[in-house]
Amino acid sequence: MKVSAVRQALLLIVLALVPAIGEAIYFRNKVSWQSPVPGSELVTVVQARSWGDNVIWVDARPDNEFERDHIPGAILLNEDSWNELLPQFLGQWSPEKRVVVYCSAQSCNASREVAKRLRDEAQLKNVFVLDGGWEGWLKLNR
Amino acid sequence: MNKTFLRLSGIVALTALAQGARSELKWEQTSVDLKPALGDKQAVAHFKYENVGNTPVHFKSVHASCGCTTAQTQNEQVAPGQKGEITATFNIGGRTGIQVKTVTVQTDDPDPAHATTVLTLKAAITPLLEIQPALVYWQNGEEPKPKIITAKANKDAAIKKLDVTSSTSDFTAKVDAGSAPNEFKINVQPRDTTKAVYATLTIKPDSPSTANVFSAAARVMPPPPTTKSTLSTIRHDLATPAATAASPSQ
Repeated sequence: MKVSAVRQALLLIVLALVPAIGEAIYFRNKVSWQSPVPGSELVTVVQARSWGDNVIWVDARPDNEFERDHIPGAILLNEDSWNELLPQFLGQWSPEKRVVVYCSAQSCNASREVAKRLRDEAQLKNVFVLDGGWEGWLKLNR
Repeated sequence: MNKTFLRLSGIVALTALAQGARSELKWEQTSVDLKPALGDKQAVAHFKYENVGNTPVHFKSVHASCGCTTAQTQNEQVAPGQKGEITATFNIGGRTGIQVKTVTVQTDDPDPAHATTVLTLKAAITPLLEIQPALVYWQNGEEPKPKIITAKANKDAAIKKLDVTSSTSDFTAKVDAGSAPNEFKINVQPRDTTKAVYATLTIKPDSPSTANVFSAAARVMPPPPTTKSTLSTIRHDLATPAATAASPSQ
Protein backbone atom coordinates (compact mmCIF):
# COMPACT_ATOMS: atom_id res chain seq x y z
CA MET A 1 0.00 0.00 0.00
CA LYS A 2 2.79 2.42 1.03
CA VAL A 3 4.88 1.63 -2.03
CA SER A 4 1.88 2.14 -4.25
CA ALA A 5 1.11 5.54 -2.67
CA VAL A 6 4.71 6.67 -3.17
CA ARG A 7 4.63 5.52 -6.78
CA GLN A 8 1.39 7.39 -7.41
CA ALA A 9 2.74 10.54 -5.74
CA LEU A 10 5.84 10.35 -7.92
CA LEU A 11 3.67 9.93 -11.00
CA LEU A 12 1.68 13.05 -10.10
CA ILE A 13 4.90 15.00 -9.50
CA VAL A 14 6.19 13.98 -12.92
CA LEU A 15 2.86 15.03 -14.48
CA ALA A 16 3.14 18.43 -12.78
CA LEU A 17 6.75 18.80 -13.89
CA VAL A 18 5.86 18.68 -17.59
CA PRO A 19 3.98 22.04 -17.69
CA ALA A 20 6.44 23.50 -15.15
CA ILE A 21 9.38 22.78 -17.45
CA GLY A 22 7.41 24.18 -20.38
CA GLU A 23 6.76 27.41 -18.47
CA ALA A 24 10.39 27.69 -17.43
CA ILE A 25 11.43 27.47 -21.08
CA TYR A 26 8.70 29.81 -22.34
CA PHE A 27 9.41 32.47 -19.70
CA ARG A 28 13.19 32.11 -19.72
CA ASN A 29 13.56 35.82 -20.61
CA LYS A 30 11.17 36.93 -17.92
CA VAL A 31 12.25 40.21 -16.41
CA SER A 32 14.02 40.08 -13.11
CA TRP A 33 12.85 42.82 -10.78
CA GLN A 34 16.32 43.71 -9.73
CA SER A 35 19.58 43.64 -11.58
CA PRO A 36 22.23 42.03 -9.41
CA VAL A 37 24.31 44.52 -7.46
CA PRO A 38 27.61 43.48 -5.98
CA GLY A 39 27.52 43.69 -2.19
CA SER A 40 30.40 46.16 -2.22
CA GLU A 41 28.25 48.70 -4.08
CA LEU A 42 25.33 48.51 -1.67
CA VAL A 43 25.34 50.62 1.43
CA THR A 44 22.87 50.68 4.29
CA VAL A 45 21.27 53.84 5.64
CA VAL A 46 23.22 53.45 8.89
CA GLN A 47 26.54 53.08 7.05
CA ALA A 48 25.87 56.05 4.78
CA ARG A 49 24.84 58.23 7.70
CA SER A 50 28.04 57.31 9.54
CA TRP A 51 29.99 58.98 6.69
CA GLY A 52 28.52 62.29 7.85
CA ASP A 53 29.29 65.24 5.59
CA ASN A 54 31.42 63.14 3.28
CA VAL A 55 28.37 61.95 1.37
CA ILE A 56 26.66 63.37 -1.68
CA TRP A 57 23.12 62.03 -1.81
CA VAL A 58 21.73 61.51 -5.31
CA ASP A 59 17.99 61.13 -5.81
CA ALA A 60 17.28 58.99 -8.88
CA ARG A 61 13.49 59.20 -8.57
CA PRO A 62 11.24 61.16 -10.96
CA ASP A 63 11.12 64.96 -10.56
CA ASN A 64 7.70 65.03 -8.89
CA GLU A 65 8.72 62.55 -6.18
CA PHE A 66 11.89 64.52 -5.50
CA GLU A 67 9.90 67.75 -5.25
CA ARG A 68 7.49 66.16 -2.77
CA ASP A 69 10.27 65.15 -0.41
CA HIS A 70 13.88 63.98 -0.44
CA ILE A 71 16.89 63.39 1.77
CA PRO A 72 18.11 66.80 2.94
CA GLY A 73 20.78 68.12 0.58
CA ALA A 74 20.14 65.44 -2.06
CA ILE A 75 20.77 66.29 -5.71
CA LEU A 76 18.21 65.27 -8.31
CA LEU A 77 19.69 63.07 -11.04
CA ASN A 78 17.35 60.78 -12.94
CA GLU A 79 17.39 59.28 -16.40
CA ASP A 80 14.27 61.19 -17.47
CA SER A 81 16.40 64.33 -17.83
CA TRP A 82 19.89 62.88 -17.76
CA ASN A 83 21.50 65.34 -20.17
CA GLU A 84 20.16 68.33 -18.26
CA LEU A 85 20.73 67.07 -14.72
CA LEU A 86 24.14 65.43 -15.06
CA PRO A 87 26.09 68.71 -15.48
CA GLN A 88 24.31 70.17 -12.44
CA PHE A 89 25.35 67.18 -10.35
CA LEU A 90 28.94 67.26 -11.65
CA GLY A 91 29.15 70.91 -10.61
CA GLN A 92 28.59 69.86 -7.01
CA TRP A 93 30.52 66.62 -7.02
CA SER A 94 33.72 66.40 -5.03
CA PRO A 95 36.38 63.66 -5.41
CA GLU A 96 36.78 63.35 -1.63
CA LYS A 97 33.14 62.53 -1.09
CA ARG A 98 31.22 59.31 -1.53
CA VAL A 99 28.18 59.32 -3.76
CA VAL A 100 25.10 57.44 -2.53
CA VAL A 101 22.29 56.98 -5.05
CA TYR A 102 18.77 56.08 -4.00
CA CYS A 103 15.38 55.50 -5.60
CA SER A 104 11.96 54.76 -4.14
CA ALA A 105 12.34 51.38 -2.49
CA GLN A 106 14.21 48.13 -2.39
CA SER A 107 12.52 46.94 -5.57
CA CYS A 108 13.29 49.92 -7.82
CA ASN A 109 16.10 49.83 -10.31
CA ALA A 110 16.72 53.51 -11.08
CA SER A 111 19.43 53.94 -8.44
CA ARG A 112 21.40 51.03 -9.86
CA GLU A 113 21.15 52.42 -13.38
CA VAL A 114 22.19 55.93 -12.31
CA ALA A 115 25.08 54.60 -10.21
CA LYS A 116 26.29 52.51 -13.14
CA ARG A 117 26.19 55.49 -15.51
CA LEU A 118 28.08 57.68 -13.05
CA ARG A 119 30.80 55.04 -12.88
CA ASP A 120 30.88 54.37 -16.63
CA GLU A 121 30.16 57.73 -18.23
CA ALA A 122 31.51 60.19 -15.68
CA GLN A 123 34.15 57.67 -14.51
CA LEU A 124 33.49 58.50 -10.87
CA LYS A 125 34.71 56.28 -8.07
CA ASN A 126 33.07 55.67 -4.70
CA VAL A 127 29.54 55.48 -6.06
CA PHE A 128 27.15 53.42 -3.94
CA VAL A 129 23.52 52.34 -4.04
CA LEU A 130 21.38 52.86 -0.94
CA ASP A 131 19.92 49.57 0.25
CA GLY A 132 16.18 50.04 0.80
CA GLY A 133 16.09 53.36 -1.02
CA TRP A 134 13.98 56.32 0.07
CA GLU A 135 11.61 54.05 2.03
CA GLY A 136 14.52 52.61 3.96
CA TRP A 137 15.79 56.09 4.77
CA LEU A 138 12.33 57.19 5.89
CA LYS A 139 11.98 54.26 8.26
CA LEU A 140 15.08 55.31 10.17
CA ASN A 141 14.64 59.06 9.98
CA ARG A 142 10.97 59.86 10.45
CA MET B 1 -4.63 1.53 -10.22
CA ASN B 2 -6.51 1.77 -6.98
CA LYS B 3 -9.34 4.04 -5.89
CA THR B 4 -7.09 6.67 -4.27
CA PHE B 5 -5.16 7.20 -7.48
CA LEU B 6 -8.34 7.36 -9.53
CA ARG B 7 -9.76 10.00 -7.16
CA LEU B 8 -6.59 12.11 -7.35
CA SER B 9 -6.52 11.83 -11.13
CA GLY B 10 -10.16 12.82 -11.24
CA ILE B 11 -9.48 15.95 -9.17
CA VAL B 12 -6.62 16.93 -11.49
CA ALA B 13 -8.75 16.36 -14.57
CA LEU B 14 -11.76 18.28 -13.18
CA THR B 15 -9.55 21.18 -12.17
CA ALA B 16 -8.08 21.30 -15.67
CA LEU B 17 -11.57 21.19 -17.25
CA ALA B 18 -12.83 23.91 -14.94
CA GLN B 19 -9.93 26.16 -15.88
CA GLY B 20 -10.47 25.57 -19.59
CA ALA B 21 -14.13 26.50 -19.41
CA ARG B 22 -13.59 29.78 -17.56
CA SER B 23 -13.68 33.10 -19.36
CA GLU B 24 -10.40 34.89 -19.73
CA LEU B 25 -8.39 37.39 -21.71
CA LYS B 26 -6.20 35.83 -24.35
CA TRP B 27 -3.19 37.98 -25.17
CA GLU B 28 -1.77 38.03 -28.68
CA GLN B 29 1.62 38.64 -27.07
CA THR B 30 2.76 39.62 -23.61
CA SER B 31 6.22 40.75 -24.64
CA VAL B 32 7.12 43.34 -27.28
CA ASP B 33 10.59 44.21 -28.56
CA LEU B 34 11.00 47.75 -29.85
CA LYS B 35 13.86 49.52 -31.59
CA PRO B 36 13.19 53.25 -31.48
CA ALA B 37 14.84 55.38 -34.14
CA LEU B 38 17.73 57.67 -33.21
CA GLY B 39 16.47 60.66 -31.30
CA ASP B 40 12.97 59.25 -30.68
CA LYS B 41 11.42 60.58 -27.49
CA GLN B 42 8.99 57.70 -26.95
CA ALA B 43 8.59 54.00 -27.67
CA VAL B 44 5.04 52.70 -27.91
CA ALA B 45 3.98 49.06 -27.55
CA HIS B 46 0.53 47.64 -28.33
CA PHE B 47 -0.60 44.57 -26.41
CA LYS B 48 -3.66 43.07 -28.09
CA TYR B 49 -6.15 40.86 -26.29
CA GLU B 50 -9.43 39.06 -26.82
CA ASN B 51 -11.98 37.82 -24.32
CA VAL B 52 -12.22 34.18 -25.30
CA GLY B 53 -14.69 33.32 -22.55
CA ASN B 54 -18.43 33.75 -22.27
CA THR B 55 -18.60 36.31 -19.45
CA PRO B 56 -17.32 39.90 -19.39
CA VAL B 57 -13.86 40.67 -18.00
CA HIS B 58 -13.20 43.87 -16.06
CA PHE B 59 -9.83 45.56 -15.67
CA LYS B 60 -9.18 46.22 -12.00
CA SER B 61 -5.84 47.97 -12.45
CA VAL B 62 -3.15 48.63 -15.04
CA HIS B 63 0.11 49.56 -13.39
CA ALA B 64 3.46 50.40 -15.04
CA SER B 65 6.73 49.43 -13.37
CA CYS B 66 8.16 52.94 -13.50
CA GLY B 67 7.05 56.56 -13.79
CA CYS B 68 8.64 56.68 -17.24
CA THR B 69 5.94 54.39 -18.66
CA THR B 70 2.23 55.00 -18.99
CA ALA B 71 -0.36 52.40 -19.94
CA GLN B 72 -3.87 52.88 -21.25
CA THR B 73 -6.77 50.52 -21.77
CA GLN B 74 -9.40 51.09 -24.45
CA ASN B 75 -12.26 49.86 -22.28
CA GLU B 76 -12.76 49.05 -18.64
CA GLN B 77 -14.94 46.09 -19.52
CA VAL B 78 -14.30 43.52 -22.23
CA ALA B 79 -17.37 41.68 -23.47
CA PRO B 80 -17.16 38.01 -24.56
CA GLY B 81 -15.53 37.86 -27.98
CA GLN B 82 -14.46 41.50 -27.83
CA LYS B 83 -10.93 42.48 -28.88
CA GLY B 84 -8.89 45.41 -27.70
CA GLU B 85 -5.44 46.52 -26.74
CA ILE B 86 -3.41 48.10 -23.99
CA THR B 87 -1.06 50.80 -25.18
CA ALA B 88 2.16 51.22 -23.21
CA THR B 89 4.13 54.40 -23.85
CA PHE B 90 7.70 54.49 -22.63
CA ASN B 91 9.23 57.96 -22.34
CA ILE B 92 12.85 57.43 -23.24
CA GLY B 93 14.27 60.58 -21.66
CA GLY B 94 18.03 60.26 -21.35
CA ARG B 95 18.07 56.47 -21.17
CA THR B 96 20.29 54.31 -23.33
CA GLY B 97 20.89 50.60 -23.83
CA ILE B 98 18.37 47.81 -23.31
CA GLN B 99 15.43 49.04 -21.28
CA VAL B 100 12.88 46.60 -19.92
CA LYS B 101 9.64 48.02 -18.56
CA THR B 102 6.63 46.07 -17.39
CA VAL B 103 2.93 46.75 -17.12
CA THR B 104 0.97 44.67 -14.63
CA VAL B 105 -2.66 44.13 -15.59
CA GLN B 106 -5.18 42.88 -13.08
CA THR B 107 -8.64 41.66 -14.03
CA ASP B 108 -11.56 40.30 -12.05
CA ASP B 109 -10.81 36.74 -13.14
CA PRO B 110 -11.38 34.62 -10.00
CA ASP B 111 -8.36 32.46 -10.80
CA PRO B 112 -5.25 34.31 -9.51
CA ALA B 113 -3.13 32.69 -12.21
CA HIS B 114 -5.23 34.39 -14.91
CA ALA B 115 -6.17 37.52 -13.01
CA THR B 116 -2.70 39.03 -13.22
CA THR B 117 -0.76 39.40 -16.45
CA VAL B 118 2.64 41.04 -16.74
CA LEU B 119 3.22 42.72 -20.09
CA THR B 120 6.85 43.37 -21.00
CA LEU B 121 8.15 46.15 -23.21
CA LYS B 122 11.77 45.82 -24.21
CA ALA B 123 13.37 48.75 -26.01
CA ALA B 124 16.89 48.86 -27.42
CA ILE B 125 17.94 52.49 -27.32
CA THR B 126 21.02 53.38 -29.27
CA PRO B 127 22.67 56.60 -28.18
CA LEU B 128 23.39 59.16 -30.86
CA LEU B 129 26.60 60.12 -29.13
CA GLU B 130 28.60 58.36 -26.42
CA ILE B 131 30.61 60.84 -24.35
CA GLN B 132 33.40 59.69 -22.05
CA PRO B 133 34.24 60.95 -19.58
CA ALA B 134 31.35 63.30 -18.93
CA LEU B 135 33.57 65.23 -16.51
CA VAL B 136 37.14 66.48 -16.78
CA TYR B 137 38.64 68.21 -13.77
CA TRP B 138 41.85 69.68 -12.49
CA GLN B 139 42.97 69.88 -8.90
CA ASN B 140 43.55 73.38 -7.64
CA GLY B 141 47.01 74.49 -8.71
CA GLU B 142 47.49 71.56 -11.13
CA GLU B 143 49.24 72.35 -14.42
CA PRO B 144 46.50 73.52 -16.82
CA LYS B 145 47.19 70.89 -19.49
CA PRO B 146 44.37 69.95 -21.88
CA LYS B 147 42.26 66.91 -21.04
CA ILE B 148 40.36 64.90 -23.60
CA ILE B 149 36.70 63.94 -23.78
CA THR B 150 35.95 61.33 -26.41
CA ALA B 151 32.66 61.53 -28.28
CA LYS B 152 31.74 58.46 -30.30
CA ALA B 153 28.94 59.03 -32.80
CA ASN B 154 26.45 56.40 -33.87
CA LYS B 155 27.29 55.10 -37.34
CA ASP B 156 23.74 55.61 -38.58
CA ALA B 157 23.61 59.23 -37.48
CA ALA B 158 26.03 60.54 -40.14
CA ILE B 159 27.57 63.09 -37.80
CA LYS B 160 30.37 64.96 -39.48
CA LYS B 161 30.86 67.83 -37.10
CA LEU B 162 30.49 68.68 -33.41
CA ASP B 163 30.05 72.13 -31.95
CA VAL B 164 31.23 72.41 -28.38
CA THR B 165 30.42 75.47 -26.30
CA SER B 166 31.71 76.24 -22.83
CA SER B 167 29.30 78.06 -20.54
CA THR B 168 32.12 80.23 -19.21
CA SER B 169 35.30 81.70 -20.65
CA ASP B 170 37.35 79.82 -18.02
CA PHE B 171 37.75 76.87 -20.35
CA THR B 172 38.51 76.46 -24.03
CA ALA B 173 37.28 73.48 -26.01
CA LYS B 174 38.72 72.36 -29.33
CA VAL B 175 37.39 69.46 -31.37
CA ASP B 176 39.64 67.16 -33.39
CA ALA B 177 38.88 64.07 -35.40
CA GLY B 178 39.36 60.88 -33.39
CA SER B 179 41.15 57.67 -34.29
CA ALA B 180 37.99 56.06 -35.72
CA PRO B 181 35.73 57.51 -38.45
CA ASN B 182 32.89 58.31 -36.06
CA GLU B 183 35.01 59.53 -33.20
CA PHE B 184 35.80 63.05 -32.00
CA LYS B 185 38.32 64.23 -29.44
CA ILE B 186 37.30 67.28 -27.44
CA ASN B 187 40.37 68.97 -25.95
CA VAL B 188 39.35 70.93 -22.88
CA GLN B 189 41.76 73.30 -21.18
CA PRO B 190 41.35 75.66 -18.23
CA ARG B 191 42.85 79.14 -18.46
CA ASP B 192 43.83 79.10 -14.80
CA THR B 193 43.77 76.44 -12.11
CA THR B 194 44.30 78.65 -9.09
CA LYS B 195 40.60 79.34 -8.57
CA ALA B 196 37.65 76.99 -8.46
CA VAL B 197 35.65 77.24 -11.67
CA TYR B 198 33.01 75.16 -13.36
CA ALA B 199 31.60 75.09 -16.86
CA THR B 200 29.02 73.10 -18.71
CA LEU B 201 30.18 71.98 -22.12
CA THR B 202 27.29 71.88 -24.57
CA ILE B 203 27.95 69.40 -27.35
CA LYS B 204 25.87 69.78 -30.47
CA PRO B 205 26.18 67.25 -33.28
CA ASP B 206 25.23 68.24 -36.82
CA SER B 207 23.04 65.17 -37.22
CA PRO B 208 20.16 65.60 -39.67
CA SER B 209 18.12 62.97 -37.80
CA THR B 210 17.88 64.75 -34.46
CA ALA B 211 18.33 68.09 -32.76
CA ASN B 212 19.61 66.47 -29.55
CA VAL B 213 22.14 68.39 -27.50
CA PHE B 214 24.55 66.67 -25.13
CA SER B 215 26.48 67.89 -22.12
CA ALA B 216 29.72 67.36 -20.30
CA ALA B 217 31.36 69.31 -17.52
CA ALA B 218 34.75 70.83 -16.79
CA ARG B 219 35.94 71.89 -13.36
CA VAL B 220 38.85 73.24 -11.45
CA MET B 221 38.37 71.89 -7.97
CA PRO B 222 38.43 74.13 -4.91
CA PRO B 223 41.58 74.17 -2.78
CA PRO B 224 41.64 71.74 0.14
CA PRO B 225 38.83 72.51 2.60
CA THR B 226 39.26 75.53 4.80
CA THR B 227 36.80 77.21 7.13
CA LYS B 228 34.97 78.89 4.28
CA SER B 229 32.54 77.03 2.03
CA THR B 230 34.31 76.31 -1.19
CA LEU B 231 31.23 75.59 -3.26
CA SER B 232 30.21 79.22 -3.13
CA THR B 233 33.34 80.21 -5.01
CA ILE B 234 32.38 78.18 -8.04
CA ARG B 235 31.32 80.35 -10.88
CA HIS B 236 28.56 78.84 -12.87
CA ASP B 237 27.07 80.96 -15.58
CA LEU B 238 25.03 78.88 -18.01
CA ALA B 239 23.44 81.90 -19.60
CA THR B 240 26.51 83.38 -21.26
CA PRO B 241 28.32 80.96 -23.53
CA ALA B 242 31.76 82.35 -24.09
CA ALA B 243 34.01 79.92 -25.83
CA THR B 244 32.93 77.98 -28.88
CA ALA B 245 34.85 75.38 -30.79
CA ALA B 246 33.87 73.65 -33.96
CA SER B 247 35.26 70.39 -35.22
CA PRO B 248 36.84 70.06 -38.63
CA SER B 249 34.53 68.46 -41.16
CA GLN B 250 35.31 64.85 -41.84
